[in-house]
Amino acid sequence: MAGEPILEIRDIRKNFGAYQALKGVSLSVQQGEFIALVGPSGCGKTTLLKQIAGFEEPDSGSLSIAGQPMLGVPAAARPTSMVFQKLALFPHMTVADNIGFPLKLRKVDPAIIAKRVEAMIELMQLKREYLTRYPRQLSGGEQQRVALARSMISEPKLLLLDEPLSALDVKLKKVLQAELKRLHRSVGVTFVHVTHDLEEAIMLADRICVMRSGEILQVGGPNDIYYRPADSFVAGFIGDTNLLAVTVKGNAVSAPGLTAADPTVPAQYVAPGLGDGPALLMVRPELITPLESGQVADFTIDVTITEIFCKGGTVQFRSNTEGGAPLIFELPGASKQPADIGDKLRLGFPKRDIYLFRERVAA
Amino acid sequence: MSWYSDLPKFYQNQIKAMGLDDEGMSRRRLLKTAGAAAGAAAMSGLTFGRSARAASQMSYMCWEGYNDPRIIDPFKAANDVDIAFDLIVDSPGGFAKLQAGASREIDLVSSDMPWVTRMGPAGLALELNPDDYADVYATFYDQFKPPFEPLMSEGKTIGVATRWGWVGGCINTDITDPDTWRSYDPVFDAKNKDKICVMDWGDWPILPMALHAGIDPYQELDAAALEEVRKVLRAMFKNTRTLVADLTQAQKGLLDGSLLGCIGAGSYLTSAVRKQGHKNIIATVPDPKNGLKQGIIWVEATAIVKETDQPELAQKLLKHVVSKEAGHILSLLDTTCNVVTNKAVEALYTDEEKSILQTDYMWHAWDNSQMHRIAPNIDEMLAIWQEELAAAQ
Amino acid sequence: MNGEIDRSWRDPELLVKALPSVILQTAFFLAPLLMTVALTFQRTKNFQLTWTWSLDTWTDIFTKPHYWTILGHTLFMAITCVILCLVIAFPVAYALATRLRAFQDHVKVLITFAFLTDATLKTFGWVLFLDKNGAANYLLQQVGFPPATIDILFTDWATMLGMVYNLLSFAIFTIYLSIDAIDRSLILAAYDAGASKFRTFWEVTLPLARPGIWAASVLIFLLAVGVFLEPKVLGGGKSPMSAELIRQTFETRVNWPLGAALTLVLMTVAVFVVLLFNRVYSLKRHMGPV
Ligand SMILES: Nc1ncnc2c1ncn2[C@@H]1O[C@H](COP(=O)(O)OP(=O)(O)O)[C@@H](O)[C@H]1O
Ligand SMILES: [Mg+2]
Repeated sequence: MAGEPILEIRDIRKNFGAYQALKGVSLSVQQGEFIALVGPSGCGKTTLLKQIAGFEEPDSGSLSIAGQPMLGVPAAARPTSMVFQKLALFPHMTVADNIGFPLKLRKVDPAIIAKRVEAMIELMQLKREYLTRYPRQLSGGEQQRVALARSMISEPKLLLLDEPLSALDVKLKKVLQAELKRLHRSVGVTFVHVTHDLEEAIMLADRICVMRSGEILQVGGPNDIYYRPADSFVAGFIGDTNLLAVTVKGNAVSAPGLTAADPTVPAQYVAPGLGDGPALLMVRPELITPLESGQVADFTIDVTITEIFCKGGTVQFRSNTEGGAPLIFELPGASKQPADIGDKLRLGFPKRDIYLFRERVAA
Repeated sequence: MSWYSDLPKFYQNQIKAMGLDDEGMSRRRLLKTAGAAAGAAAMSGLTFGRSARAASQMSYMCWEGYNDPRIIDPFKAANDVDIAFDLIVDSPGGFAKLQAGASREIDLVSSDMPWVTRMGPAGLALELNPDDYADVYATFYDQFKPPFEPLMSEGKTIGVATRWGWVGGCINTDITDPDTWRSYDPVFDAKNKDKICVMDWGDWPILPMALHAGIDPYQELDAAALEEVRKVLRAMFKNTRTLVADLTQAQKGLLDGSLLGCIGAGSYLTSAVRKQGHKNIIATVPDPKNGLKQGIIWVEATAIVKETDQPELAQKLLKHVVSKEAGHILSLLDTTCNVVTNKAVEALYTDEEKSILQTDYMWHAWDNSQMHRIAPNIDEMLAIWQEELAAAQ
Repeated sequence: MNGEIDRSWRDPELLVKALPSVILQTAFFLAPLLMTVALTFQRTKNFQLTWTWSLDTWTDIFTKPHYWTILGHTLFMAITCVILCLVIAFPVAYALATRLRAFQDHVKVLITFAFLTDATLKTFGWVLFLDKNGAANYLLQQVGFPPATIDILFTDWATMLGMVYNLLSFAIFTIYLSIDAIDRSLILAAYDAGASKFRTFWEVTLPLARPGIWAASVLIFLLAVGVFLEPKVLGGGKSPMSAELIRQTFETRVNWPLGAALTLVLMTVAVFVVLLFNRVYSLKRHMGPV
């Protein structure tokens, strides 16, 4: 993925009155990359996209696309294209007119437009008879494809997608996620994809950029984000995970009820710069196993089961440690049920794939 | 003080005329409550009185002015009665309303005399016995004492005359010589183009023009005569600056000189401005032309509706309306001032009031005028009016 | 889709459900209309209706040209008024919905007040303003114009001025609502696709505001066809429009059959004009099947 950065954002700030929507954001995106912007609603994802697309101008900072400074360049002249959260298909134009609109504006010969539109329709796996229909006559997923087609027909350098899948039902969402991935591979355009769903981001993106209240918290590959979150905020985004409050001293951890033959944690499982003091120990539910008597593990902890959920393929157990902290673990659904609600149990987990990091830093 | 008291007089009159003044609004509210109460009574099948405040309730259909509180309030107090008003906007309309069933609600009607007289044959009026009104007639001008033929139908007396005036030329003596208005010729004079105002009041502007053309509109007319009426109206429209239905607009035009004269009105139009001090605005009556009197006398009269459920009270109110005190108020309203039929009122007038009413001119006007009736061919003449107006565009 | 529509006509349950509304519509619309039609076949004499069946009224209407002169004049004035209102209202509404967003609350209040203020008062206000020695001429004279420079009072120009003035707020409001309802992301999408501001206006804003423009046109047209105050007060009553003709016929001529017939003619012609424009304009072509 090495090469020229197609998008270079340096210390962009954007205020709405006294409200700081972007507090100095820097980001560099490589040509052909699929990058996902993830963050809770209101954290400034759309605002960042608008700065890139040119709908708004930042208060300070710099922004260049393919080496060209973009500040002051109107949206119409930027080599970007946006797929809007609400799709923004023109209701008074047919599907063909919608898709061909960017080319019509570029004064492309109508015959060529028609050909290109047909090619897009094919690429998007839409039926040809949709060409003469109006957007409202299509289903949500079909509209989505038309919006993508319209954005891609002008061959933009950057495709900006603002939560394009958030309004769809789960099944359709899955289909279109796969579709996006396929498109990205086949077209090779750089995608900047906004979502508030980290799972989606992990599934689609080469790199993920996690945002919180106008700032970028962490940028990294899916594994970095998943296994080595910068802080509890990022970790909390991932879904069900265990964050045990521990105390770090030297490179050994201790917590009430936690026992270990060797409590030291290798440096590769410790967030850079983490010193002595309170920290969080993250351990994924699927890595925790109940211990038969006599079995041993790197870390062991005694818990009481409080709830049991069936999650399709797996069964999730919720429990409390002796210190009162919640702990979740998951077992394959087919395996023998080790316990019932109220049972006491000894759990163990390996040293590998735990991660030690600091408590969320207040914004 | 009221919300509109800072506005120019013109506006104030306008607001009053639309019934948007405080008085008008409270009147509307009153009518509304009365209506609601009546509705409630009807719905519940109860028969309590229409008003909780007074012992009885009357409905009076009249022109604006007859409902002046200074006239009505003493009567209400003396007789413990509440009175709802149905104000007439135009006489035919009021008559049509009575015919359409309002006669069941209304007790007393004060309207233009021909329409009051017409209530006789239409079976809407209670026949009056002149002897019952001897006390009233005693102080009347002789001209209106019984038998007053215009208010009689098939020998029966239908109503009592109340207020009257004349229709001729209304002019501003500062800009036009009253002597030139001893005929209607200035209306047709090319040099007065765009200076003549015509009142848009149904038959009122048509009748004087017919008289000017030598046609007596109160007689049955043949096609040739109607053709003459058409010609005179066509000529009149040539010089017309504006048709006006609103008194104040005509008054303002006369005052500021943009209108030389108004046709189709008379003392009814000029008197309010005279009351404001503009004695240069007068109502004249042209001299007879070839033996045909050119002026027109209008009379308003009051009649009791046949279906009234309280004939005594209605008669009392009728007598009150023509009384000396009420007559004095009625003849000197803010919107219009007109002489009344009760001679006794004359004794109450100051010199100023006499001047406002042009009392020195009134019998001259009477002598040179036709008594207004419903013209037999009015339908045709109104149709001609519409045609010529459309053609004048 | 067609099947569904077909079925709905025959579905007895639906018919039963629709019955109350059908009855209401008959009672409130059809019955008065039929009575009006019946009225046109009666006669009047001396301000009195006589209940006899005759074609006099209709013969009168179809043989006298002046009813049609007035109707033609009315249509001309109404259509001119629609055009002027649109030409003035569109930029105002557009500016309100886009550039002046910060003030739009104030402006909405003002427009609402304009709605509420009595048209009679406003119209008489114009008389004072336009008069030969009214405010407008006074001001012009102060800056050196000869007296009575503006002499349009009691002409069709003054009527038109009053009509546009009194009806403009309806047009502004209707068009404003339609522009305001346009999703902002559609505008951004057009910019994003490479459209200039003007192109965006032309390709997106205007077509999407078209239903509002159309609604405003119909509304203004129907209101304008019915005006009587302006031609009477500002136009000096010299070139009356249909509503005044009808009022005159009902009130001063007390010729109800003729008044009813003229009303029917005006209604029919107005509806016909609207349908005609609808064909020309063809909502369907621009918006697709709804
Ligand atoms: N034009 C604007 N004026 C004022 N505040 C805005 C504007 N646009 C966005 N904001 C605020 O900036 C913050 C970030 O918004 P946005 O970028 O849309 O969030 P999201 O991450 O959900 O897309 C929100 O709190 C929003 O209210
Ligand atoms: Mg957003």
